[in-house]
Amino acid sequence: MVPDDSASLAITEAAADPDTSPVEASAQADSDTLAASDLGNLDSPENPEATADSAPPVPAPPIDPRTQLRLRNDGDRLVLLMPNGPQIEAEGGALSWGELLQHFKQRLNGGEPFWQPNTVVHLAARDRLLDARQLQALEEILTSAQLTLKRVATSRRQTAMAAVAAGYSVDQLEAEDTLVQSPPAPGKPLAEPLYLQTTVRGGVEIRHPGTIVVLGDVNPGSSLVAEGDILVWGRLRGTAHAGSGGDRSRCIMALQMHPTQLRLADLVARAPDGPTSQYLPEVAYIGDNGIRIAQAQAFAQQNFDATLGQGAQLTDAFKV
Amino acid sequence: MTRIIVMTSGKGGVGKSTCTANLGMALAQRNQRVAVVDADFGLRNLDLLLGLENRIVYTALDVLAGDCTVEKALVKDKRQPTLGLLAAAQNRNKEAITPEQMKQLVAGLAPSHDFILIDCPAGIEMGFQNAIAPAKEAIVVTTPEISAVRDADRVIGLLEANDVKFTKLLINRIKPKMVQEDQMMSVRDVLDILAVPLLGVVPDDERVIVSSNRGEPLVLDKQLSLAGVAFNNVARRLLGEEVPLIDLNATHDDLFSRLRRFFRG
Repeated sequence: MVPDDSASLAITEAAADPDTSPVEASAQADSDTLAASDLGNLDSPENPEATADSAPPVPAPPIDPRTQLRLRNDGDRLVLLMPNGPQIEAEGGALSWGELLQHFKQRLNGGEPFWQPNTVVHLAARDRLLDARQLQALEEILTSAQLTLKRVATSRRQTAMAAVAAGYSVDQLEAEDTLVQSPPAPGKPLAEPLYLQTTVRGGVEIRHPGTIVVLGDVNPGSSLVAEGDILVWGRLRGTAHAGSGGDRSRCIMALQMHPTQLRLADLVARAPDGPTSQYLPEVAYIGDNGIRIAQAQAFAQQNFDATLGQGAQLTDAFKV
Repeated sequence: MTRIIVMTSGKGGVGKSTCTANLGMALAQRNQRVAVVDADFGLRNLDLLLGLENRIVYTALDVLAGDCTVEKALVKDKRQPTLGLLAAAQNRNKEAITPEQMKQLVAGLAPSHDFILIDCPAGIEMGFQNAIAPAKEAIVVTTPEISAVRDADRVIGLLEANDVKFTKLLINRIKPKMVQEDQMMSVRDVLDILAVPLLGVVPDDERVIVSSNRGEPLVLDKQLSLAGVAFNNVARRLLGEEVPLIDLNATHDDLFSRLRRFFRG
């Protein structure tokens, strides 16, 4: 018996016939009210109408994907973006420095293979307070990934002093006003896709303000949060949240879809309890009544038809 | 080149210390100079499993305090003189030592040994950080239970993030009969989730409890049990030999189960 099989969202032969498709996935607007009784309702095939629209859509808890350290390509160098210190702390979900580094290391180990060895890195520390030890820790991590830290941009005097003492070039910026610190304005382009070639293991959380591509398995206990799409070339068994910025056109694709939980924009779906026999590449997207899942092949065809302007409706594998 | 291996699992009670004791002994029997280091400060028990409790004079903390050399603190095993134990202090807790100090201790042992096995405490807190700091390789011990496998997965992720690059898996306490009846995760199921190279599979064996209570590792038995053979095989694999996994189903493949299979068709 494979216990993991008990948590799976799978396609059934009903995929071809949307009218008779059983409720395999349940969606709910508010993850906070994921009570057992509600889920029981949503799960039962006799009650297919108990969907997200029975309750007014309430946004899922906001997750700011910009709370992790990340690298951005900037011409012939990389910029290491530091999350804004005070802002994160204000949200209460502040990551400790150690956790911040841990997440960053796990990301680097997964490989973001878009740089050459010895690429120069500029650190955008913003208004985060960094001491000499923290700068050194960052440099060690970057060196192990064959990157060289050269310049530090900061709006904090102490950080600038520490950086000068450690021998980096320093750009001291004006302190950012509160307007700049607020979450990015809508309409801002997404960051370039994050490409990871690794097994995302339990306890690892990857947040990215763009699309995440994983070559490998996503294990239970891990979580992927993306403002864009999530593509898993492997088994998705953890939690995935695409369109975390509220974009309802985003989707989650996996070669084997048996996640702990799926989130799309402000909707939440969880896997049915029964085991499933077969796993085919599948796509989760937001349909008329919440999160739906379709076979990848069918999804591609439907989307293609839609772009041809034939007015084809997305036929849904699951009513949610 | 000394091989510094941490034995870890995340979850408690899966058999880290038992595996460390048996593996250390099995390696020593193959003429390797082995030091086993107990990193479980405050809850040490590797000394009990090896039957060395009453021979401990100095602990790791005494070495760090400069009261004795690391060689002197090493308790030599009377049965296998090439095996030594560096005991943890029992009267302190995990915060009594830092990762840097742990590195220092192991660096002191490295020149005179072929293998250093570090017995890691359960959990992923300070004690874990200490234990993995000096290690170059890791053996993740797990049992075929969903909770142990989840914890092992988390630990493998942490090991990767902390630059322990060579992680191998040891599946402990498997019950072939239950696997056959589909009531327990199989080796394949575990590997499917963890996706790391398999070092060995040790069957569940009641004699492990007897040997622990006596302080005599299984691999010392004259008439080796199946678990003892499995530990020996793991040691041989660590030394680079190609040893096939023992067929655990063989013992259960008796006349009755064959007949049952025959009639089930």
